[in-house]
Amino acid sequence: MSTSIKRKVPNRKRKIHRNNTEKLTKLTEKIEIYYKLASVIPMMLFMLLLIIIFSTAIGSVNVPFKDTVKIILKNWGLIKNITFTEGWESIIFYVRFPRVITTILVGAALGTSGAVMQGMFRNPMADPGILGVSSGAGFGAVVAIYLGIHAKSIYFMPLFASAGALVAAFVVFLLSIKNGKIPVMNMILSGMAVSTFLSAITTAILSFARSDQVKQFLFWTVGSLNGTRWEDVKISVIPIIVCTVILLFFSKDLNILLLGEEEAQSVGLNPAKTRKLILLLSSILTATAVSVSGTISFVGLIVPHIIRLLIGPDHRLLIPASALGGSIFLLLCDLIGRTIVAPGELSVGIVTSIIGAPYFLILLNRARKEGVAL
Amino acid sequence: MTENKVLEIRELDFYIEDYHILKNINLSVSKGEFVGLIGPNGAGKTTLLKCINGINKGKGQIIINNLKLEKLSAKKIAREVALMHQDTSVNFPFPAIDVVLSGRYPYLRFAEVESAEDYRIARKYMSYTNTLQFERKPITTVSGGERQRIFFAKILTQETDIILLDEPTSNLDIAHEEQIFRYCRDLCNKGKTVIAAVHDLKIASRYCSRLILLKDGEIIADGSVEEVLTKENISMAYGVKAIVYKNNFTGLLDFYIPDFEDAIQDTKKDNKAEKSRIHIIGGCGAGADIIRRLFEKGYKLSAGVLSKGDSDLNCAQAYGVKCVVEKPFSDIGDEKLSENVEYIKGADITILCNIPFGTYNLKNLEAARYASKLVIIEDKPPEERDFTGGKAIEIYKKLRESAIITTCNKVYEEIKNYMER
Repeated sequence: MSTSIKRKVPNRKRKIHRNNTEKLTKLTEKIEIYYKLASVIPMMLFMLLLIIIFSTAIGSVNVPFKDTVKIILKNWGLIKNITFTEGWESIIFYVRFPRVITTILVGAALGTSGAVMQGMFRNPMADPGILGVSSGAGFGAVVAIYLGIHAKSIYFMPLFASAGALVAAFVVFLLSIKNGKIPVMNMILSGMAVSTFLSAITTAILSFARSDQVKQFLFWTVGSLNGTRWEDVKISVIPIIVCTVILLFFSKDLNILLLGEEEAQSVGLNPAKTRKLILLLSSILTATAVSVSGTISFVGLIVPHIIRLLIGPDHRLLIPASALGGSIFLLLCDLIGRTIVAPGELSVGIVTSIIGAPYFLILLNRARKEGVAL
Repeated sequence: MTENKVLEIRELDFYIEDYHILKNINLSVSKGEFVGLIGPNGAGKTTLLKCINGINKGKGQIIINNLKLEKLSAKKIAREVALMHQDTSVNFPFPAIDVVLSGRYPYLRFAEVESAEDYRIARKYMSYTNTLQFERKPITTVSGGERQRIFFAKILTQETDIILLDEPTSNLDIAHEEQIFRYCRDLCNKGKTVIAAVHDLKIASRYCSRLILLKDGEIIADGSVEEVLTKENISMAYGVKAIVYKNNFTGLLDFYIPDFEDAIQDTKKDNKAEKSRIHIIGGCGAGADIIRRLFEKGYKLSAGVLSKGDSDLNCAQAYGVKCVVEKPFSDIGDEKLSENVEYIKGADITILCNIPFGTYNLKNLEAARYASKLVIIEDKPPEERDFTGGKAIEIYKKLRESAIITTCNKVYEEIKNYMER
């Protein structure tokens, strides 16, 4: 049928017609990934914004949403000449809002590095903790606490924790490299070995520590966003944003890696080189997050997993969505932790674990049913 | 010749730790060739393919389109050579088109999004391999054959001159296994070069224009199908005695690996089988089955008189059985008769197969009289097979008096029993 139609159309017209259809397909094809991004990301940003306002407004003192927004805007110098109820301003802008921003950054860091790790290990069960980053950070933290230097400056604790995390990741990396390649299995096993080793040393140090130090460390390991200040934002904002953005550029390469190491090699991707870079970036991300908040488990595992179920495995979409998803999830968990036992407070790490552990079991169970090798 | 050379390998050695996997490989492949890499498991087929696309870095030189492999970047190599791996399983549910588009990776800059042109190319090859209907389907949900074709579209999307396939038909059923080879033959005719590691010798002999036989990392034969797939080469490479013959139905080379297990066990008990010789009087296809059965049991065989072009003769020759041969469609001459009689006299047993009798082979019946022991195969009554108007029946009845009468299926047991007595 199409040939008969074509015959009727004069030559010149047909050419124009074809050009038009080509343009049209060109447009839709070009847009494909952008279209997906445009349909998912703004929605998530909007959700995040709502939760930010909600989280900032709600607490032991409830501030109306409108005033919450106004207080933030006023402190940014966008609105002038407004006065609020006594104490609201300091609660909102110096207590809750920095905590919310830190939560967003930590959630984004954990979500991103989780997504990237799962892609790199080609295993939906992978988690940033696999690299020994968490236990490295814990080791750094316990050293800082034991030496008592964490009290001298608020920067020392995060510094020690991230140093410990990076050193651990580097050691894992050195142990797993073989003939210029980084086999996934080597990496997982070295990660486990290093984690166990560092945890043992951490415990050993704790057994010599004073009881208040032990309590402090314990509090830190659970992962808490309580008492985070603008300083925490200052420490973490640059590394987290920079690493996330760089990882975004690697999303295409990660997609290729997901098809298999040799598959990647045969289309001209050097898996070892890419893996090294991704490893470095995601270690920095996790280390930064851990240094600010302590170890918060399960965010890096379940957030990318849910997002992947919803929007598919394409990293160009998965990474930004996991970052936003991590922020939203962590904000919600923190909100629950702050409000559920008010005036007391549950650490956010406890909340994520309580939600995450059953989900992890469901995931395991389903993976077993589907016969996925773990 | 040199202008058309797309791939040249010089003195390639490859080691994995201390194991010498590839030994001094020298090879040059011209444009449009469809090369089949054959050889037993562990011969180094996959390793060689991976050397050609630079995944394995061996000692020696590999030159692709007059460019030295070691000087090319990984992406540049991927624009020259595409490799389809043996294992194409994917754990993540990418839509098929994304998998195919990964073939455009070597043409993209870092973090560049695929253009409409890339999509067009990907779709073109998906429709070529008849997979366009799966465009949006997750790769994890398609069948093995479909996935194989999707991955084939992917390597075509790389638009390389050289295509390497590593056992592309593993895990496929017969309807699908040859499809990729048909595509490849088509592509070779269009000027691409295909090198495929193939397990199935029949498929290799059917589609490939050239075969390379590898064993223990060495090339032991290289040339046309007929040159490479000889009895000697196969037994050297695979360590089995194979029968290579032309299949009369398809006109293609075919292989048969006789089942020697029983023979080995039997000869352990008594090696009469090896010592005794059996002569077979066959023709018109009646003898082939018996030749095969007895050959597998390890008996020395001879056959005659067979007409040229008779399928029994083809069979006997494939097994290397000595034959007395007469011109086709003509009576058995005296010379051939006496030759046949010599064979019969020298044989411990002579088998008269379930053959039809005509005037031209009447002398075979006469010769049977000289048998020291005659075994007659009678699957159908001789009356139905007589086309001489009773002459044959007369001789046949006489022969029958002193012979062992049996059927094709029982012939081995009868012979064994007789030998033991």
